[in-house]
Amino acid sequence: MKEPTAQARQSDADERAAIRHRWTAKPPGDSDEAQAGALLRSAMVVPPFGAKDLAEVAARLRGRERRSSRKWAWQLAIAMGLLLIGGAVSAAVAHFLRGPSVPAISRPAPVSLLTPAPVRRTHAAPPSPPAPAASPAPEPPPVARPVAPGPEIQAPRLAYAEGRVGSTVARSSLEPPAMAPASPSSLAQESRLIAGAIHKLRQDGDPAQALAMLDQHRVRFAGNGALEREANVTRIEALLRLGRHDEALGLLDAQVLKATGVGREMLVARAELRAEKGRRGAALNDFNSLLTADAPSDSVTERALFGRATCRAQRGDGAGARSDLEHYLARFPKGRFADQARAAIGK
Amino acid sequence: MTLVRSDATPLVESTLGVPDLETLYRAHAPTVARWAAKLAGPLVDVDDLVHEIFLVVRRRLPEFRGDAKVTTWLYRITERVACESRRKDGFRRWFSRVRHIEIQRTLAPPHLTPVDEYERRQCSERVYRILDRLPKKYRNVLILFELEELSGEEIASLTGLKTATVWVHLHRARARFIAEMKRDSGSST
Repeated sequence: MKEPTAQARQSDADERAAIRHRWTAKPPGDSDEAQAGALLRSAMVVPPFGAKDLAEVAARLRGRERRSSRKWAWQLAIAMGLLLIGGAVSAAVAHFLRGPSVPAISRPAPVSLLTPAPVRRTHAAPPSPPAPAASPAPEPPPVARPVAPGPEIQAPRLAYAEGRVGSTVARSSLEPPAMAPASPSSLAQESRLIAGAIHKLRQDGDPAQALAMLDQHRVRFAGNGALEREANVTRIEALLRLGRHDEALGLLDAQVLKATGVGREMLVARAELRAEKGRRGAALNDFNSLLTADAPSDSVTERALFGRATCRAQRGDGAGARSDLEHYLARFPKGRFADQARAAIGK
Repeated sequence: MTLVRSDATPLVESTLGVPDLETLYRAHAPTVARWAAKLAGPLVDVDDLVHEIFLVVRRRLPEFRGDAKVTTWLYRITERVACESRRKDGFRRWFSRVRHIEIQRTLAPPHLTPVDEYERRQCSERVYRILDRLPKKYRNVLILFELEELSGEEIASLTGLKTATVWVHLHRARARFIAEMKRDSGSST
């Protein structure tokens, strides 16, 4: 067996040596360790877990028993749902695979027996748009065709939808082109784009790439997408991460925001950006809309209270600022800005 | 919320040093929350994490015989739950989309000097991006030493490692951290 070399022994001893100095205690400098220390210091500050948080989690723990039965019910429901979806998907796949090769489609007898029902359904409802001229229905209705009131786009859908109601053989005979290869719906495409942008932003930490994907979304859906709001929020976040506060503010300015749900967070963000730009009046409006009598004691309210105090102080409203700071300390005695608030009012 | 162990009377157990859930929660929840926040990083909701951890504590309490120190036991649960939470985080974020808008995390606090806080947030996220590239044993030891400012002996006590092993892990973690930091700088420029 080889003896460890002196160098290896020394290296081993070095690794076991106690470390006396933390990087985080190093003064700023250019060395790798100083840079690592500076970086690590930024992660040392964590939000305090105060009495309110303690009480909230304790309450959740107490409520756990009640929730556990609900959890089982949810799991059961999800399992059932998955089962149903799986069944539906496999049935659809089986149908898709079997459909074109079914020889019975061309057989005249079953078709003639089964086609009347769907055909009748197609013309049974008078207000419905007519079957399209392109529809390969074997017997176009000779009379009572309404004078094309509906757009042509709807007609094929109706025919297709009605065809689906009928039996397999009848459907196959009535609407040959209906089984066009499935293309992803626009919602699926849209959600894929936005999910991609979010992934770039959050997982890869690449806001520039996220913005590029959101631009694609903008081009593709021209501001009419179903997930426009999500796209906007993601874009705002990406812009903020890139330090492009002006553009983020531009987007936020264009929004009509309500002080509910995500709107509250967007409102407080807009207020802070407006205040940052010296638009204190507009910022105050946003802060005021958040600070209603029934505003919850959460971080948004906390930021809004402190932000309004600062704006008021900068506009020379000392009494208003003091009142906000006192209110802040009463509501958030261990809040993020409690020390600054105490210092400001001299407590 | 008081938990009564099924295999013995609570009074006897408490005299043997095995506290009930409520006592554990009152005494250790703030520490557990701090560990959780630092182990899981800035993008995880600490309240949810503490809740998860104490659910595990409640489930596991009957198995706890007091062989290890309570803090060691709690740390191990915290480490496991935090690790699991970070793993699930990516998955959850895909589906929750923008439910938790990150503006609050990204943007400055409202003291009208938002740039500093914004930069701090970015640095913090970068720290965890780098830490996540380290093996778990190195990552967590580095967090406990640098962010939680524990001594080698305290880390050994929490993690159940020998103190010499803690130093070895720490030396290696530091070397890896510097290397990954440089790589991260290179890739971000």
